[in-house]
Amino acid sequence: MEKPKRRVGVFSLVLLLVGLPFLGHQANAASKPIVIGAPLATAFLYGWDAERAMKLAAEEINAKGGVTVGKEKRPLKIEAIDTRDLEPGVPVSDALLVVEKLILEKNADFIVGGPVRSEAALAAMDLLSKYKKVSILTTGALTPKYHQRIAEEYDKFKYCFRVSGEVGWMVTGEFLPALMHIKAKYGLNKLFIMVQDVAHARGGGDAVAKLASEKGWEIVGKEIYPTGTTDYSVGLLKAKRENAQVILIWMDMPESSILLKQWYDMKIPALPFGTIIAAAEQPGFWKATEGKGEYCMASVVNAGNAPSQATPWTMKFVDAYKKKYGLEPEGYGTSSSYMAVYVLKDAVERAGSLNSDAIVAALEKTDLMGVYGRIRFNPKNHQVIPSTDPKEGAVGTIFQWQAGKRVVVFPSTIAVGEIKLPPWMKK
Amino acid sequence: MDILIYGIINSFSLALMAIGFTLVYGISRLPNFAHGALYVVTGFLVWSLINLLKLNYLVSILLALVIMGLVGAAIYRFVLIRVRGMATSEIIATYALGLAILEFLRWGGFKGMTYTLPVFIEGSVTIGGIPVDLQRIIVIGIGIIVISFMWLFTHFSKTGLAFRGMAQDEHAAMMLGIDSDRMAVIAMAMGSILAGLSAIALLPLGNIVVEAGYNVLILSIAVCIVGGLGSWVGAIIASFMIGFLQIITVAYIESHFQMVVALLAIIVTLILKPSGLFGRQKELEERV
Repeated sequence: MEKPKRRVGVFSLVLLLVGLPFLGHQANAASKPIVIGAPLATAFLYGWDAERAMKLAAEEINAKGGVTVGKEKRPLKIEAIDTRDLEPGVPVSDALLVVEKLILEKNADFIVGGPVRSEAALAAMDLLSKYKKVSILTTGALTPKYHQRIAEEYDKFKYCFRVSGEVGWMVTGEFLPALMHIKAKYGLNKLFIMVQDVAHARGGGDAVAKLASEKGWEIVGKEIYPTGTTDYSVGLLKAKRENAQVILIWMDMPESSILLKQWYDMKIPALPFGTIIAAAEQPGFWKATEGKGEYCMASVVNAGNAPSQATPWTMKFVDAYKKKYGLEPEGYGTSSSYMAVYVLKDAVERAGSLNSDAIVAALEKTDLMGVYGRIRFNPKNHQVIPSTDPKEGAVGTIFQWQAGKRVVVFPSTIAVGEIKLPPWMKK
Repeated sequence: MDILIYGIINSFSLALMAIGFTLVYGISRLPNFAHGALYVVTGFLVWSLINLLKLNYLVSILLALVIMGLVGAAIYRFVLIRVRGMATSEIIATYALGLAILEFLRWGGFKGMTYTLPVFIEGSVTIGGIPVDLQRIIVIGIGIIVISFMWLFTHFSKTGLAFRGMAQDEHAAMMLGIDSDRMAVIAMAMGSILAGLSAIALLPLGNIVVEAGYNVLILSIAVCIVGGLGSWVGAIIASFMIGFLQIITVAYIESHFQMVVALLAIIVTLILKPSGLFGRQKELEERV
């Protein structure tokens, strides 16, 4: 009696084990999620805000039934892994391993977000090309080399897109016009440059200095600070001695808040303009500096990263983010990561499949009024088309801290306030 | 004038960062590579006590320093005692501990740039035409108090004299009845409190970030190597040398070389005088 019982038991167990995957497959077949792999430096602002924004967009889309792929509705699933590529000393290869892990182990259908550091993003292009994975870069990397490589080797890198800004446009289309606006409004023309000792900041500082001097600005000094600098007093005193009127800051290190605190305490009579100043972007900056960051101007790259009425969708996004996370969109990478998910949804629905080549063709035809204006990609280099008018393209945002609020002051098409000078600058 | 004022401030900042590290090494020959992590932990601890438990700033500081003392003692009692005397293992253990602490903080959500401590007194003064904020003047004050306390402690208290005995010759001190492990526990506790005190003095100038732990460790090591490992007088003098050199570099050469100054000082010291300015014990070993 014992043997037949045991046989039945073993047979049932084998049947169960063999059948389980099929049961699971049956259960999931109707709603297999579309996996969006997100390689992000999640310990840093440009990473965690992107992850939050992508999850918000996915939740909104899933709440409305998901993405229509052909005849079926499929939900979105965000798989984020920390690339650590913004941490000092972490090699680029670590970020590449993350991208590969997302593709091979997490079975990501698309890669959205990073890698965040330019060097890592550029290196990841070859990997994306190898696996034919459509990717939309949304945060961190501002290097023009990204879209230049796509234009130069289109067939190889056609799977790569960037929906956020790039430094070429930011300097010529936003920072310089903002400086000219300050010049025209207040008659200021002496510029002091303070940048971090990293490639993008040095390059950006040099570019602004060259172009600004051609437009009538006098460059009265330039200081390059190593990452981690905790004292800017001597540089600030140099700026004061040289009668600088605007201090252009390009730093993504957290210690840049010390610079602003010292600027305030020393009452340096020059307007701080943070073309890139990660410390001042976040809503918590005001409290963190006890108001000493007032009058600091900061670029957050895309509209929607600070409240404005750029498009009807902008404040809807700001409010939704605030409702879910308890604070306004935090800075560069937030609105672009949110939009990337919607852009992808739109492309998948038009393509009717997840086939990479079909998605590339659909993305190239994207024309969507989004959070920061009209979203279209240049079909030759896959860079989002920028503009200062949200009806024409993706608009940027430069805000100024005024009475505890991030008041958008540039471009004028979306500005909600005027640039103000600190009281110790007024004659 | 600005070089003089900000040179002094920078020097005292470096001295505050390094004195805890050099104390621990001087007494128990333990290179505490978790020093930077303890610095950062104190910052987040005070922040948490103020913002989450809503405690008074002064109470938070005192409580944090007591906790840091206990943490330092526990590190020795439960970790370092097992590897004592094995130099490589000591470095690996303390460095691993520091990394674990910093990564745990990051994992626990202490990331971003909005964690700050309030300054002790708001405002600034002008000295010789140079504006200086009051917190930086307080840093000088705390630096003078700490240095004076250390001198008085090591010259007039029983434990302090035992510290000096340990620093001069551990085996001789043990023969005279000084408990080596007890002294090491006290040294680690004091070293951690000093790391915490420097964090409390310096962090209100900026924000609390995990990465600061690595910078503090590098600067502390630079100061201690130049001054002579284990000599806290040497550490203070080295702080002034590096502190002024950094400010002069910013003023007359280029600001991006200021970090190089500290690292270059390590290399030059190791080439010309590996024992450092006041590393007597090491110097004796070198002569032999």
